[in-house]
Amino acid sequence: MKNFAGHLGRAFITFLQDLSSLYYLFRETVLQSFVLITDRKKRRQAGLLTQIDEIGTQSLPLVLAVASLLGVAMTVLISFQLKEVGGYNYIPGLVAVAIFREMGPLLTALIVAGRVGAAFTARIGTMKVSEEILALETMAINPVRFLVVQRFLGLLFSLPALTMLANFMAVFGGFLFGSTRLGIRPDTYVRETLDVLTFTDVYSGVVKAGVFAVIIVMVGCYRGLVVEGGAEEVGRATMLSVVSSTLAIIVLDTFMTGAFYG
Amino acid sequence: MGNSHMIRANGIKKNYGARTVLNGIDFIAEQKKITYILGSSGGGKSTLLKILIGALKPDDGQVLYRDMDITKLRGTGLDPFRKKIGMLFQQGALLNSLTVGENISLPIREHTPLDDNIIKIMVKMKLELVGLRDFEDLYPGQLSGGMQKRVALARALALDPEVVFFDEPTSGLDPIASSVITKLISDLNRVLGITCIVVTHAVEEAMKIANKIVILYKGAVLAEGTPAEIRGSSDPIVQQFITGSPDGPISFHASSRDFREDLLVE
Repeated sequence: MKNFAGHLGRAFITFLQDLSSLYYLFRETVLQSFVLITDRKKRRQAGLLTQIDEIGTQSLPLVLAVASLLGVAMTVLISFQLKEVGGYNYIPGLVAVAIFREMGPLLTALIVAGRVGAAFTARIGTMKVSEEILALETMAINPVRFLVVQRFLGLLFSLPALTMLANFMAVFGGFLFGSTRLGIRPDTYVRETLDVLTFTDVYSGVVKAGVFAVIIVMVGCYRGLVVEGGAEEVGRATMLSVVSSTLAIIVLDTFMTGAFYG
Repeated sequence: MGNSHMIRANGIKKNYGARTVLNGIDFIAEQKKITYILGSSGGGKSTLLKILIGALKPDDGQVLYRDMDITKLRGTGLDPFRKKIGMLFQQGALLNSLTVGENISLPIREHTPLDDNIIKIMVKMKLELVGLRDFEDLYPGQLSGGMQKRVALARALALDPEVVFFDEPTSGLDPIASSVITKLISDLNRVLGITCIVVTHAVEEAMKIANKIVILYKGAVLAEGTPAEIRGSSDPIVQQFITGSPDGPISFHASSRDFREDLLVE
């Protein structure tokens, strides 16, 4: 029992240390982002468009495929319940609200955390253990500006965009199923959807995606930057990065949903 | 003569937990000279090197670059020092996502306002110094270990440093690649007047080109002098080290407890 308490205490202290390091990394990232944005030469060198392509465009097929299937699945499930009471005309609104407020942003963030966040940790962690980061420091090149900032800006732009596209795709999946299999008239489906959706539903998703982007980049890069040792440690850090960002995304999502609609 | 040192270490101490790695290191690396720091593996050489380049803070002591104590500097305060030094890492530490040319141009782009065309010419000049002018567009992964180190050396020279630090420059290389690197170190010093500080366990190399050799043993400086002085030393530990003999005062047994007692304990 005493041992258990000891473990818990140590884990808590590690958690607090990680949190404070993450804060400093975040502060430095924001600071260096301004340096980058205001310096034309450094901006060109950072390859922001390459990052957006790697993070955003290349995640697009996966995100869209998952989102459209999610839209279909939700429509199927909701129609089971509403069939009993004959309330098929509620389907479009229900699906749209659930997707825009909750499922779209959450699912997109989780996919990106697994695909992109893990890659950040693995890439930066490998650079750390092969002394590439120390080499950057020795050349008086700020590693945060060189490695973190373009990923930060890239994801801060890409994730909200991906989320919006995923939202539309999921609603479209629901629309296809509803109009072809449930016999809801296409024009009614579209009108119902637009009647129910509010502006808050849309922008809360953008805000959520922005917050998730910060979490994925900070956790992914931080885990990579603190790796010590060899390949095994890089693997462990990558796993830890996905686990902790997944957890943080779900916890913060709950809070934000509460804040927007509670 | 007071100002002829380039790098001077004064009483550097470093502990990792309860283990003392460096216990008061003093030495002087003179301007435009080649200083070799020799020591056995795990003897604190890498730690000392990290302290000399400001990547690690010692628990006690000073590192003077000319008259500037770099152990007092933090973060961007170290930048002026770092722009004056170059470092060749043990594995090269080239950025794998960039080509050879991009690796070398990186510090130039970062710290000078020079035009792309001029940078291109500079990169070619640096590559010519290490004999790899045609390799600009290859990625580090496409080069052999020895070539990677030469490219890394070209990158270390990118900003025309006053001092270049070498971490085990020849370890893991074949004999020919090793002598190429050793000759490069000697040429850089002779032709360009660069101060070289080499941390290694390769005694032969040190004897060939060093102006001064510092031998580390158990976290302290065991001997210091020209290759001839070191060769003539009467200290049996120094003799064992330079001849590489398995028998001598440096025991094959690294454990301090008596073997028989250790077996009888349980």
